[in-house]
Amino acid sequence: MLALGGVTAVMGILYAMLQTDLKRLLAYSTVENIGVIFVGLGLALAFKTNAMPAAAALAMTAALFHVFNHSLFKSLLFFAAGAVLTATGIRNLGELGGLIHRMPQTAFVFLAGAVAISALPPLNGFVSEWLTFQAILLSPDLPQWALKILVPGVGGLLALAAALAAACFVRAFGIGFLGRPRSTAAAGANETDSFSLAAMLILTGLCVFAGILPGAVIDAVAPAVQTLIGAHMPTQIATPWLFIVPVAESRSSYNGLLVFIFIALSASFAVYAIHRFASRAIRRGPAWDGGFPNASPATQYTAGSFAQPIRRVFGATLFLAREHVEMPAPGSLAPARFHVDLHDLVWETFYAPIATGVGFIADRLNRFQFLSIRQYLSLVFAALVALLLVLAIWS
Amino acid sequence: MVLIRDLAIQGLQMVLVLLLAPLLTGFVRKVKARLVRRQGPPVIQPWRDLVRLTRKEVVLADNASWLFRATPYLIFATTWVAAALVPTFATGLTFSWSADLIAIIALLGSARFFLALAGMDIGTSFGGIGSSREVMIASLAEPAMIMIVFTLALVAGSTQLSTIAAVFDSGVGLRVSLGLALIALVMVAIAENGRVPIDNPATHLELTMVHETTVLEYSGRHLALIELASTLNLLLYLSLIACLFAPLSLASADTGDRALLAGLAGWLIKLAGLGALLALFETSIAKMRVFRVPIFLGASLMLGLLGTLFLFVTKSF
Repeated sequence: MLALGGVTAVMGILYAMLQTDLKRLLAYSTVENIGVIFVGLGLALAFKTNAMPAAAALAMTAALFHVFNHSLFKSLLFFAAGAVLTATGIRNLGELGGLIHRMPQTAFVFLAGAVAISALPPLNGFVSEWLTFQAILLSPDLPQWALKILVPGVGGLLALAAALAAACFVRAFGIGFLGRPRSTAAAGANETDSFSLAAMLILTGLCVFAGILPGAVIDAVAPAVQTLIGAHMPTQIATPWLFIVPVAESRSSYNGLLVFIFIALSASFAVYAIHRFASRAIRRGPAWDGGFPNASPATQYTAGSFAQPIRRVFGATLFLAREHVEMPAPGSLAPARFHVDLHDLVWETFYAPIATGVGFIADRLNRFQFLSIRQYLSLVFAALVALLLVLAIWS
Repeated sequence: MVLIRDLAIQGLQMVLVLLLAPLLTGFVRKVKARLVRRQGPPVIQPWRDLVRLTRKEVVLADNASWLFRATPYLIFATTWVAAALVPTFATGLTFSWSADLIAIIALLGSARFFLALAGMDIGTSFGGIGSSREVMIASLAEPAMIMIVFTLALVAGSTQLSTIAAVFDSGVGLRVSLGLALIALVMVAIAENGRVPIDNPATHLELTMVHETTVLEYSGRHLALIELASTLNLLLYLSLIACLFAPLSLASADTGDRALLAGLAGWLIKLAGLGALLALFETSIAKMRVFRVPIFLGASLMLGLLGTLFLFVTKSF
């Protein structure tokens, strides 16, 4: 279960990284999050069978917290992607761009969702990720050797998935909302209606709340953890200064509220100091771009080119990625072409055989749909006899 | 009274890291210049550059959004907070309990997230290539760093930096896993700060196209803040290495002023030593191709993983 969770997380986010369809990207990132939840559940199970109730409660709380978080930020992101779809009629990242100017509020909530899902403090995704890491750090006490070898690897996979998620959402937000519009539909998009915006803002608010006051959420899932594991984490809301302390304060503690206030204060200090003592002048001008700016939006980085370094690092083995370049002969006016072959190995090794098997059987059984009434009656009779025989042998 | 003193020490640390960070960068540049027999700019030059930048007007691209203007402040704030949480001259400062080592790394991750977004905001190809490479490097360096944290946390029984430093100070002996963690940490620190084998802080865009191209469109006070944040980042990593692997002179926040002064002096000496080592390393090695970077960082990730694995198998490694 642990290994399945870790591998699912990394594979899910790598697929998401390579998608150009905004909604499909979000769906693949769900696969990653389910993987993270699975790791938490697997750890809880391992701790429970080895009679370590405190650690099991921690792992289970982490898993449930992540379920809660995922319900918040994934709904938020899907809402925002839906708003983009209604405004532009486009799901392909390669035709979006520059939406932050046309749809500023949607861009803001998508950004909040992206920060939350990338497990960055001070929002909520980070807290559940942090709790899972704390649970992993308790696992050297597990007696089974297989688990001792497995858990560090799973921890590494989890960290890799979190870092790739950040890369994936930099790409989704950066290509979709930043830069210059890549199509007329994206250039003429209008902000979505105020009801959808209100719904998205409420979800954003919940993400921030769960991020800076995680103790409240941990206490809220405590009864569920109690019924599942038979133990729960110590009540967090009572700790002074709203810290969350999974095991002991000398071991680890995190205070989302304090970190949030700390960042807000230093940012405002920087704004104040800069505007008080430095030049406030601003001049608008064309982009610099190394001295040779090009007016065509086609010169921007695309979704595919942004993912290229990561595709090269992981793709050759995990997706059997092969790059083909067709260069025309010198002097020829034919365009040069470049395309990449990608294979979905999970689909090809696990699901595709099942799909072809089902198709094959369905093909064979298709003949039964064109029998005469006589043959149908004998078929029913044969089935009855066979079932009676089965019953007789069974008892 | 105790609270006021604690807050004062925390404030002192925040001011000190801010003041010293550009000086450290200047010092590294000076040593590098001397090693190749150049005179080199004075150590205070980065501060002069920063002040000059803040006096200049900001030239903003026509299609820059609010995110582009907010990002420098966000990057500076998160990096500064992260730097304030690392024990530099004393452990157990007031706010050090609010975030552990994992949270500090994630804070730096937030800074990089926004930096990569800002690189894509104007919609130029230079910004895009910089952001794309930045996240590729980060997606390997971050897991490596988490594995290093696991190794340290398993030895010390805590992810809290102050506790780890205190445990290491009381003596944990020579351990294979810590040796691996040190090598991995140095590799990650080099990558995260864009130093020579990965990126070259001295060039302009053409040669490396990672950090310098991401911030290509910034100017004036915005650029000053980003530069200040990147010097803070270097100071943070060197302080981290110093407090973990040479916690010798670290004072505890509740001891007397004399111990604090000794801690301060020790910290300055350690920073100077590590800065000189960095300069020596940078002058003696050539930059590698961008697509060699994953191998470099993969090695660091594997070292971290190996260290963790050793500790999972037996506590005494």
